[in-house]
Amino acid sequence: MANLSLRELFRRRRGPFAFLAVVGPGLIAGVAGNDAGGITTYATLGSQTGLRFLWILPLTALLLALVQESVARLGVVTGQGLSDLIRERFGVRWALFAMIVLLLANLANTVANVAGAASALAIFNVPILITAPLAALTVWLLVVYGTYRSVERIFLALTAVFLAYIAAALLANPNWATVASSLTTPNLGGVSGAEMLLLVAVVGTTVTPYMQFYLQSAVAEKGIGVEELGAARADAILGSVWTNFIAACVVIATAVALGSLGKPIGSAAEAAVALEPLAGSFSKILFGAGLFGASLLAMAIMPLTTAFALAEAFGFESGVDKRLREAPIFYGIFTAILAIGAIVVMLPGLNPIGAIISSQYLQGLFLPIVLAFIVKLSSSKSLLGEHASPRWLRLVGWGFVAILAILNVGIVLVNLLGLAL
Amino acid sequence: MLHLSRLIGRPVRDSSADAIGVIDDLIAAVGTSHPPITGLVVRTGRRRIYLGWSSVERMDAAGATISATRVNISRFRRREDEILLKGDLLDKQIVDIDGRKVVRANDVILDFVEGAMRLVAVDVGAAGLLRRLGLPDTWVNRLSGEQSRVASYIDWEDVDPLGSTIASVRLRVPHAGLSELHPADLATIVDQLTPRDRADIFSTLDEEVAAEALEELEPETRTDLLEDLEPERAADLLEEMSPDEAADAVAELSPLSRKEILRLMTKEERDDVQELLAHPEKSAGGLMTTEHVALRPQATAAEALAAIRRHKPDAEVAFAVYIVDGRRRLLGEVTLRDLVLAAPNTAVGELMEDEPVAVELLAHSDEVARVVTRYGLVAVPVVDASHRLMGVITVGDALWDVLPEEWRREMPRRLHADSLAAAGPLELPTRATAKRGAKGAAKSRKAQPRKKGAAKRG
Repeated sequence: MANLSLRELFRRRRGPFAFLAVVGPGLIAGVAGNDAGGITTYATLGSQTGLRFLWILPLTALLLALVQESVARLGVVTGQGLSDLIRERFGVRWALFAMIVLLLANLANTVANVAGAASALAIFNVPILITAPLAALTVWLLVVYGTYRSVERIFLALTAVFLAYIAAALLANPNWATVASSLTTPNLGGVSGAEMLLLVAVVGTTVTPYMQFYLQSAVAEKGIGVEELGAARADAILGSVWTNFIAACVVIATAVALGSLGKPIGSAAEAAVALEPLAGSFSKILFGAGLFGASLLAMAIMPLTTAFALAEAFGFESGVDKRLREAPIFYGIFTAILAIGAIVVMLPGLNPIGAIISSQYLQGLFLPIVLAFIVKLSSSKSLLGEHASPRWLRLVGWGFVAILAILNVGIVLVNLLGLAL
Repeated sequence: MLHLSRLIGRPVRDSSADAIGVIDDLIAAVGTSHPPITGLVVRTGRRRIYLGWSSVERMDAAGATISATRVNISRFRRREDEILLKGDLLDKQIVDIDGRKVVRANDVILDFVEGAMRLVAVDVGAAGLLRRLGLPDTWVNRLSGEQSRVASYIDWEDVDPLGSTIASVRLRVPHAGLSELHPADLATIVDQLTPRDRADIFSTLDEEVAAEALEELEPETRTDLLEDLEPERAADLLEEMSPDEAADAVAELSPLSRKEILRLMTKEERDDVQELLAHPEKSAGGLMTTEHVALRPQATAAEALAAIRRHKPDAEVAFAVYIVDGRRRLLGEVTLRDLVLAAPNTAVGELMEDEPVAVELLAHSDEVARVVTRYGLVAVPVVDASHRLMGVITVGDALWDVLPEEWRREMPRRLHADSLAAAGPLELPTRATAKRGAKGAAKSRKAQPRKKGAAKRG
């Protein structure tokens, strides 16, 4: 999610997506999984469970396609952002609830990305206590003083490193028959509690709540006409497939390189091993640079999107072209999220990789709530008329909401009660 | 004073104090400055019924009481000139015309004024939000200071409710308040709206106002908007714009809409635009407008002034008339000042300055900017290779291309913020100065960077 052009997004109040017009939302959403949270979660899935749970990826691709299609449809037909619609259709209380959920989810994701930046530089022996505050301060200064756009492209280019996973997966040369059967046969046999959490984190990092708010504003702002709805849909669906294709490559490459570990990756340096067949001794530098770039991008985008969404829902001044004094609440939210993100990562004894996985798990925890809003809105006849979701789509949507909700409630209960699964 | 948030869900009682239902919504007839409430939507069980205001005896924070004798109950049906305060207004985006901002209606304020319960203001502040969350008044007051509470009310006279955002319902809003705004302010607001609201506003605005605002919009917004409008309407607005701005706008359109919209324009305007489109963007030809006043040397000063009155060119273009021979070759120019000071029957040929500064069609925009700056020109004529007058470039357009991008983007916003700050939060006069009464300065945004103290041309 980090690889979107911030400049294009935040140039105006609701952010135009001229960038998307060139590349197409498909590719964007595809590289979007490649932020610190995504890469770390997929790498952990590979190292901890090998190829066993590859089947989760086609399923999350389906879920992602479904959600993004609904969101694109909402954006095209109503011309409004998701937080706009939640406020207008459900009122202040529900909007407040949705915004608290988004705030918490994005806060967690900001923590993940500060942790990502910290663990990227840890490869080069820079201590976390130095990286975390410095990275946060740098991003803050770049955004507030408007010079962000000049360095943004550098961060963006760095993240292209992750495309190397496609080659790495091929070079790893796994047993392709095992890959094929694992991809197609869902099997929860003998799943442990920790693995269950990891699976929810995979769902959460693939279908991020944040991304849906972002995508709908993007589509709405582009002013795509209803006559182009088909193209917008195709883009949303292709993007989902592409995202999970890259995710599968990360899992395969890591599973082959580290699969014998049977435990989570311990550091970014360890995750970089998966790129060794391709890059040899450069793999750590490559991986570190990519992770650092992606993390810094997301450290700017995540707090900003939150501030924009809250402004949209509650109607206060917003915009990065405003001065601090003109939009105090907007910049206040931005600053607070970034600061909290940095402080959490600096807590003594915190394992950055663990923090990243936990934050992605939180994304999965909050997902059914955001998903419920999307399913409800996208099946509203009074809002979308003939473009409202057909019955089957509505049922599949609510089905996903129910499964995720039950799963989450179950996991939370199990953890609260300290029971073993 | 009543808050809509405190009325929704309150009981509706008949004269025997039995609750017949709860208030679901209020209806107001728009069109007047403070629209009177004309009825209630009452929910009884699962039905929504309409209750005319004449049957309501009393309404306050405790609920509504209806008089038994005059009850007039029917099923609720929306009429065209009415808005539902909850359904159409609450939580929706509105334009604060006075503050030139797009904001959200957190609460609606009603009051008993001039013998009727009326919609008087919209609350866009924190107090409205807190009230909506169901906090009691004491908490609302404690959490939001008295001052901020009053400051967050927008008088209904200064509110433009936009269209309804719900696909099945289209609210008809005249957008009268918006058309009073300075075009640059209108453009700032329109840039913040959703594509649908933009198109909605531009299809109802007066043509002249809409065309001027179009000239001020961000180029991308303008392109989207023109493609969203009915092609006939888009063509009408382009005709109303100055030809160079129209050509710029047309150049950005997709080939398909360009063809269709050009076809719908009058031949004269279309020819102008097409001629301008033929010039490279960064050349004098691409910057110029074909709009100008050209006369033969024997015309009198009075005739020249009459020509200006007839053509009504933009302020900078009207700054001078150009003197040409039978083949339109540029002989000289006479400034508006000299025309006004001269005896009415003086021939312009005698008043004119020979061989005025001019640029060639293919001159690069940098050179044009340099010429305009060096000679301190308000407008510079453009000639072709055989010195025939083709058009005029105004100082704003000449300098636009050489301004740093940041300036161009921020200028309207800066101007706006400063004018507000200078006036203090609640003083109204700034609004008057920014209104179209000051239309002579309509192009102030572009004219502003003119170099001060530039040498007088000589």
